[in-house]
Amino acid sequence: MNKQIITVMLKEIKDNMRDKKSLMSSVIMGAVFMPVMFVAMMNFMVSMQKDKAEKQLEMAIQGSANAVSFISHIKTQGVKIKEFNGNPTLAIENKDEEAVVVIPENFAEKFEAGVPAKIEVYYDATAKGTTNMTQQRIKSLIKTYGTTIGMTRLQLRGISPSLLNAVVVEEHDVSTTQSKGAMLLSFLPYALILGLFIGSMYLAIDTTAGEKERNSLEALLLNPIKRSHLLTGKLFATMTFGLITMVVTLVTFKLVMPFMPLKELGMTVNLGFKNIGILVLVLGPLAIMAASLQTIIATFSKSFKEAQTYVGLLMLIPGIPSFALMFLPLKEKLWMMLIPILSQNLIINQIMRGEEVRATAIIAAIIGSLLVGLLLALLAIKLYNRESLLFSD
Amino acid sequence: MIEVKAVSKSFGEVKAVKEVTFTAPDHQVTALLGANGAGKTTTLRMIYALITPQTGEILIDGVNPKEHPEKARKLLGVLPDTRGLYKRLTARENIEYFGKLHGMSDIDIKNRTASLVEDLRMQEFIDRKTDGFSQGQRVKVAIARALVHDPQNIILDEPTNGLDVMSTRGVRRFLEKEKQRGKCILFSSHVMQEVAAVSDEILIVSDGTIAARGTEQSLMELTKATNLEDAFVHIVTNGEGHE
Repeated sequence: MNKQIITVMLKEIKDNMRDKKSLMSSVIMGAVFMPVMFVAMMNFMVSMQKDKAEKQLEMAIQGSANAVSFISHIKTQGVKIKEFNGNPTLAIENKDEEAVVVIPENFAEKFEAGVPAKIEVYYDATAKGTTNMTQQRIKSLIKTYGTTIGMTRLQLRGISPSLLNAVVVEEHDVSTTQSKGAMLLSFLPYALILGLFIGSMYLAIDTTAGEKERNSLEALLLNPIKRSHLLTGKLFATMTFGLITMVVTLVTFKLVMPFMPLKELGMTVNLGFKNIGILVLVLGPLAIMAASLQTIIATFSKSFKEAQTYVGLLMLIPGIPSFALMFLPLKEKLWMMLIPILSQNLIINQIMRGEEVRATAIIAAIIGSLLVGLLLALLAIKLYNRESLLFSD
Repeated sequence: MIEVKAVSKSFGEVKAVKEVTFTAPDHQVTALLGANGAGKTTTLRMIYALITPQTGEILIDGVNPKEHPEKARKLLGVLPDTRGLYKRLTARENIEYFGKLHGMSDIDIKNRTASLVEDLRMQEFIDRKTDGFSQGQRVKVAIARALVHDPQNIILDEPTNGLDVMSTRGVRRFLEKEKQRGKCILFSSHVMQEVAAVSDEILIVSDGTIAARGTEQSLMELTKATNLEDAFVHIVTNGEGHE
């Protein structure tokens, strides 16, 4: 490679390695913060679902003496009874209770007379999370009790209770914690691709808009170096940061893998050396694309700040295929592997599902991303050659 | 030697430089004296091939920068009017970077830097990061990195702009020494005093053309003025004397 290109590249790397801000924003934010966030989110989700299913239900009841048989029934269901005295509305507003059950004094009287006996349930329907689950469980317990009693009464009168059920709905909810966890995991491709974009962002801006802003561009252009070589060196430095951040992101993911609740989700993700190798191979060529796109935008920007805004917005683009794939399951075809970002998404998803990634897919992904990346790099160089580069502000 | 022959440049409607011709020979300090916006910087930028002239021809030691920009730049050392440094690098690293871009060997860069440090008196701050440097220190580093390859032709755009007396003297002393070494020095300025103090030939630039040329003495005789400032005003206002 041309010696001048290496000189420019090494200078930009050295220059930016000394900048704590750029290291913080790329490596720390992209490579460490994201995977850790990811693990925390997954664990939080799993533990919330566990709570719902396994935690003992505690029921705050006012007037439990009015319905002795109901109380003994729900006690057999493993519910813990908590006597409540006071204003149920206030208790819920103050979040002292998640739900309050009030049994009116005339409950036993009506119950014995065979007319509908009322049980009041106070709750906040807009509450989130476990509160909402509590009230649902309470209501379903009461309803089950009412149905059981009703059936017994019909049977006592010699009527088959099944007459009541003209139509039955049989629910088959196949959604499991696993599929919900898998949905979260489908965010992983974006996390990895984003790492790459975050890593190269700061350098793309610093080497172009930054050079202009600190008034060193004119002096730099006076050196006997072709502008295409100059920008190539800068692009190499930018890519290097992107690649480093990507590799660190992968390593971090590998390290935090044991802390992911994969077993609880019934998943086995194999992030062994072979799969990491595949990820590096297919994500690597994206570095050229990311660096070139960011450099083009930063070259056009009038100031460092403006460049930061636009390049920041650019990071939303790699999210599009990730989000689309979350909602639109796609049957993978080989031609899709030629589309940058989409191909990386598909391949990462295959690895997450434990499928074998085919060699043709890997090659197609590399070729497609390399090609688009190189075209964008050429465009960046062409734009950098304009005479007006210096005077755009 | 720098030869400029009938060079013009327009930006849209504005004719920044009109048919300018002059020669800056070796062993001499040539000054472009003119008000802000007279066309000095544009002329210089065409010489160092940052912008392309629309008409005319420029030769630097016989090399046309339009056809061989890299070759021409090797023959030139330029202090442009923007002189930002890399703040996270030391002064020495700033100079080394440009030396490497010129294809110099590490030994050559080291020796040349040592002599520039000596001549420009940069011993105190040469190994400090340039963030927070004074204006004078910054200009010295900018001059050193521009001349690291010891070029025959030296171009400086407003070299002492914003410098205090001591730094200005330092730069002048340095230019005098380079002239003794046989260099061709071309600089632009709007400061009369400075032009009078250092230049052998003065070109008065006004409205994109060279309005007059000569030594300080000959320009004063031409306009019957007693100092360069009066001579300058007389020339750029066509003898009307006032703005």
